[in-house]
Amino acid sequence: MYLPDGYTTLDKISENDDYAVYDLFFGPNHPGMHGNFGYVLDMVGTEILRVRPNAGQLHRGFEKAMENKLWAQNLSLIPRVCVPDPDPNEVAYCQAVEAILGVEIPRRARYIRSIVLEMSRLGSFLMGMGGVGGALGHYSTMYLMMIDRDLILDLFEALTGGRVYHIYNIPGGVRRDIPDGWTDKLLELCDRLESKLPEWDRLLYENPVVQDRLGGLGYISAEEAMSSGITGPSLRACGVKADVRIDTPYAAYDEIEINSKLSEGGDALARAVQVRLDFEEAVNIIRRLVKQLPDGDYKLDLGNISKLRVPKGDAYSKVEASKGEFGYYVVSDGGLKPYRVSVRGPSMPAGMYLCHKHLRGMKIDDVAVWMASFAICPPDIDR
Amino acid sequence: MEMDNLYLANLREEKQNMWGGLVNYFRKRSMWMLYYCTGCGAIELPPTMTSRYDMERLGMGPMATPRQADLLLITGYLSVKTLKRVIWSYEQMQEPKYVVGFGSCPINGGIYWDAYPVINHLEAFIPVDMSIAGCMPRPQAIIDAFEKLMGEIQEGKAIGYKRYEKHYDWYKKNQDAVLGRTEAVLKPWNDPFASNPSVDELMALEKGESNV
Amino acid sequence: MSDNILARAGKMHGDKIECREKYKAQLEIKTHRDYVLNLLTWLKSERYVHLSFMSCIDWIEENEFELVWHVFSYESKNHILVKTRLNREKPWMHTAINIWPHVQPYEQEIHEMFGVYFPGNPDLSGLFLHNWLDLPPLRKDFIAKDYSLALYTTDALGLTPPFDDIDIVEITAEESRDGE
Repeated sequence: MYLPDGYTTLDKISENDDYAVYDLFFGPNHPGMHGNFGYVLDMVGTEILRVRPNAGQLHRGFEKAMENKLWAQNLSLIPRVCVPDPDPNEVAYCQAVEAILGVEIPRRARYIRSIVLEMSRLGSFLMGMGGVGGALGHYSTMYLMMIDRDLILDLFEALTGGRVYHIYNIPGGVRRDIPDGWTDKLLELCDRLESKLPEWDRLLYENPVVQDRLGGLGYISAEEAMSSGITGPSLRACGVKADVRIDTPYAAYDEIEINSKLSEGGDALARAVQVRLDFEEAVNIIRRLVKQLPDGDYKLDLGNISKLRVPKGDAYSKVEASKGEFGYYVVSDGGLKPYRVSVRGPSMPAGMYLCHKHLRGMKIDDVAVWMASFAICPPDIDR
Repeated sequence: MEMDNLYLANLREEKQNMWGGLVNYFRKRSMWMLYYCTGCGAIELPPTMTSRYDMERLGMGPMATPRQADLLLITGYLSVKTLKRVIWSYEQMQEPKYVVGFGSCPINGGIYWDAYPVINHLEAFIPVDMSIAGCMPRPQAIIDAFEKLMGEIQEGKAIGYKRYEKHYDWYKKNQDAVLGRTEAVLKPWNDPFASNPSVDELMALEKGESNV
Repeated sequence: MSDNILARAGKMHGDKIECREKYKAQLEIKTHRDYVLNLLTWLKSERYVHLSFMSCIDWIEENEFELVWHVFSYESKNHILVKTRLNREKPWMHTAINIWPHVQPYEQEIHEMFGVYFPGNPDLSGLFLHNWLDLPPLRKDFIAKDYSLALYTTDALGLTPPFDDIDIVEITAEESRDGE
């Protein structure tokens, strides 16, 4: 049998008269783990003493690969950085390139970008909440939410041609215009999703078992969250009014009303409730965007996009993804290929730093739930 | 004909055993899949498993441990760290076991063919019974591939595990070439800070260099 | 620039820093390696509490590494890039974990990918790479394509297997009768 180096079974690390400490791989190969990531846990019984993250199994060397491809060719690599929620990546990259070029995209393109972003946010929230349900053993929620996510993916396929990876945004706008009748189907889907919310409330949010298991798990205060790099719904659940769409507006968000509600509490239950509030608001934002959709060009003519030459400079652009702040820092040296693309993933602070503080003293049953509540998604830790 | 041909040898064995074809019929109808999401293709697994494209009507369901699973699904690309764990899981599975390569990345590297941590050909490390092309394959394509795999199991063609057993040396040589390297591939690197100096030592060194 | 941070920075730190406004609400401050921690501490006290992440850029022609810290203020909504340059032969930098403890995995990653040393960081072991003996991969003199072709392709692995019994041949009626 192939024995890799450093392989350990349930190793006994130390022992005294009362108890022994064991070393356990909370695996990559684990039904409760979201993706290919692992924590090596030192445990006494079922209580955790120490955590070591075991990252790197999804490492693809994106930042190196992006330096060898043309500006437009990178768009096929970029959505793969975050698997459940690929559109914020494309928009952030395109916005950084447009900032260095110094161009403004047409109004209709900004609206279409915002619609696509909100749809992707809905899909990712469904997957995330399904993940919380699945981690608790509550599989009916996951099954029901997967159906609704599939309906969103059907609409994406009608618009862009791909279910999961869309490659729809390019520097200068979007690739093609909205087909006829698509907005009507989108509004029908919004009505359907809104009508499902009471059912999910009864299944998941008002369930006494769920409230008991999520309440008090992984508490973080507002000050600590702000200075630990936590962003997005996890930060809003601590009561901090922070939303990239409102703070530094991009795409069409400066013309749309966004009523962000905050759930306070700072623990896993508040984060789950915050996702539900954001979901409701995203459905309303789509309705407002479709109502105010202007006519005009859907992209700026930058010539042959394969021969795009970006002047020397650097820019950082960020968007509000469903997990938090997704940022792209793009450096150009005036050539046909990027000089450096550095990606800021929203799962790194929680997955790699907060785990040391929160998981200590927790029982092993709660590790998967804790990960799902912070929306820790390994592809953007490893890139 | 050649007695060394594994497929023919397997067929002969089955014909001599009176349960041969019947066992295959039952095996193909209860393939349990190891629940290990190795790469980005795993995002199309929940739609395949849940109510819309329901995989369970084919008799397939997810299973937590390698010891109780029949089917290993390599969903997408394989980085070198994951390859180590996949080989380990594959060898722990009980026979008969099948491997399905999902997406273009296990076939020829896909979109990551020139990336340094991602392997390009999975058949060099573990035997692959069925490959699904696409980036990433739709749930309908996955169900189609599973039905083809079921057909192959019935006909006795899905014998990757026997091949692994018979030619283990060749597979092991490839695994060691990638996982058990002791030399650098291009150019070795000497870390100038391997002795872990402290800040004061570094500042003193710099002042010394600037004084010289 | 709603809080005039650049003007106040100029008054506070004088000629140790160089400021510029790049885009709307995106500013840049360049400074010397040994002054960075002072500047970051001052920025954190001026309510720039959010450290997004750290980047490193390899300017091989100029023989320098550039480190960038991205800080953001929730009050003034300004984003500041704090930049510094390091010598490429022996790159090391003071660690910022006493200001923002969550910068530790970012410094670990930069150490692994570029070879920059951060004395004081408790754990600089490898995060992402397995059994890596070559140059740090994100440096410009490491060619990823050559590495991949040297290790993962048919010539390196001898992909054509030295056995031919995997061919699924069609058997004739006599052959199938032979086995009975």
